[in-house]
Amino acid sequence: MLFNYTIDGFENIQHQDYFSLEKITCKLMSLYRSYGYHQISTPTFETYDLYVHEDSIPSDDLFKLVNHQGKVLVLKPDATLPITRMAAMNHPHSDEIIKYSYQSNIYRNFSSPEMIKKEITQIGIEYFGNNSPECDGEVIALAILSLLENGIADVHIDLGHVGFTNYLFDELDLSETERETLFRYIENKNIGDIAAYLSGLDMAADKKDIILKLPTLYGQPKNVLKEMKTLCINTKMEWVVEQIAEIYHHLEVIGLAKYVIFDLGFTNQMNYYTDINFKGYISNCGEPVISGGRYNNLSEKFGIPRPACGFAIDLLKVIDYMEEENLLPQDDQTRTIIFYAADDKARAYQFAQKLRANHVMAEVFIIKSAWDDHLRSLQKNQLYKNAKIYFLSEGQFFAEKNGEFQPLDSLEIESEVN
Amino acid sequence: MVIRFALAKGRVAKKAIELLIELGYIFEDYSEKSRKLIFTDTTGTIEFFLVKSPDVPIYVEKGAADIGIVGKDVLLEHPAQVYEMLNLNIGRCKMCVAGFKDRPIPYGKKLVVGTKYPVIAKNYFHTKGQLVDIIKINGSVELAPLIGLSDCIVDIVESGNTLKENGLTVLEEICDISSRLIVNQVSLKTKHELIDPIIKEFEKQL
Repeated sequence: MLFNYTIDGFENIQHQDYFSLEKITCKLMSLYRSYGYHQISTPTFETYDLYVHEDSIPSDDLFKLVNHQGKVLVLKPDATLPITRMAAMNHPHSDEIIKYSYQSNIYRNFSSPEMIKKEITQIGIEYFGNNSPECDGEVIALAILSLLENGIADVHIDLGHVGFTNYLFDELDLSETERETLFRYIENKNIGDIAAYLSGLDMAADKKDIILKLPTLYGQPKNVLKEMKTLCINTKMEWVVEQIAEIYHHLEVIGLAKYVIFDLGFTNQMNYYTDINFKGYISNCGEPVISGGRYNNLSEKFGIPRPACGFAIDLLKVIDYMEEENLLPQDDQTRTIIFYAADDKARAYQFAQKLRANHVMAEVFIIKSAWDDHLRSLQKNQLYKNAKIYFLSEGQFFAEKNGEFQPLDSLEIESEVN
Repeated sequence: MVIRFALAKGRVAKKAIELLIELGYIFEDYSEKSRKLIFTDTTGTIEFFLVKSPDVPIYVEKGAADIGIVGKDVLLEHPAQVYEMLNLNIGRCKMCVAGFKDRPIPYGKKLVVGTKYPVIAKNYFHTKGQLVDIIKINGSVELAPLIGLSDCIVDIVESGNTLKENGLTVLEEICDISSRLIVNQVSLKTKHELIDPIIKEFEKQL
């Protein structure tokens, strides 16, 4: 007997949720398609080699297995890397523009005693071959629209640029550990510990002041931009300010700027982003649901240098939120059940076929016991709670009304079909 | 909109509530003996609840609380995706390795460590390149070396009195510990105009 045989971190999706998942996926895919993105899919298994040098995903978090040739495989831990490779393989001219959308499950072997989902359903886009602020703008716009289209109004996009901190740090003579420590503190907005850590470093006081300002660079874009301008110490940092200002302007033009706030506290410690980097939040939902950014150096690993930008949505997190807010599309299609006596089989099946042709769910069962028993056992079943139930005997349809089975005239039955 | 605080039960919560009261928030129904779980201030803008300290980062990470006040020891032991915005400098103490004075930590052989903080202990000895067996104990950690369960302990030391009374001393200091104000990463952005002034007020009190 296999009782309670489940694995931590993996879940069944119930039929109502799956219905919603399908509806939402469909809606998003047609949104992406209307912007010219083609849906693709990559294998569930990848070679371990693809991820072994990728700092963004710790090796411990990979599900590994060995195939018949002794090759080490992993369950795909992210969607972007395989899609970048696919783009590189299929489109060898690096100046080509390629727009892909995808829906895929990814797997992370988080070691935690808690119930953390290890199978994550992602939906998203990747835009290759365009390095302009307009491309960044389109990707961010689609991230916002993905949530708006599903009736979620309280959308926030947190936009940052890893270059701002990187170009500042390039100027300073920092060791690898110092850089990492500072990055971590900046990501955590841990100003107290930055100050304490900086006091032990040999660095000009004005540079220390700039580093201390980094965690506070978040909030209203206009204010943050003003603040950023005062902190630039080289032309590269000024370039970052120009870029991010232009992206913001783009979003203003297309009317989506109100959903965007800035946060320059993102670093590329645990990801492959090279330029902009953004997260999508929904009010009252404590964790980000969208993650995206520009990764211009990734395609190079597959022999084709090509800029790229994209995002992924954690679909099940969005569905959980929509369920709480009663925003989920409901499966309210009616279904019709026909119980038939053995002699009326042909009639029952013909009738069911007609209903199906009219997009009504129709099911037929043979009458095996008292009509009452059939009726009651079906009504007890949650899956059939809104079903219309008919009994067909000697060429005549019956329906239950006030505890009695009453014959229906042919007109009533015909109206069902039409 | 309400700003929710998760406070770690114990000394730290007492001080944190004092801080909140100093900031001008009035909690009419709060008293130390109260059995209520959630307390709301008279203006209805702030709520707080008391939970076991290791739960504070979880409540804040998941967004069940917007702000948490909890010791650095807990944040090191249970790392969470939160913003660690202020060092409140209350509940100050040190994370230490403690043991018998006349029996210094042996090098080159495996050491047995009893602790409430297996993650911190593991990271510390790992960086030092020392082999250790870690035994997780949930309380009265000082007992472990006394009855031969472990060679030494890793624990927070405030005054050092408990150690002294049991014939133990601090052998190595691992790091300073104090209470931190942590903020949910989404709340900081979506409830910016409410949370920012609160953080500024706390900053002023320091």
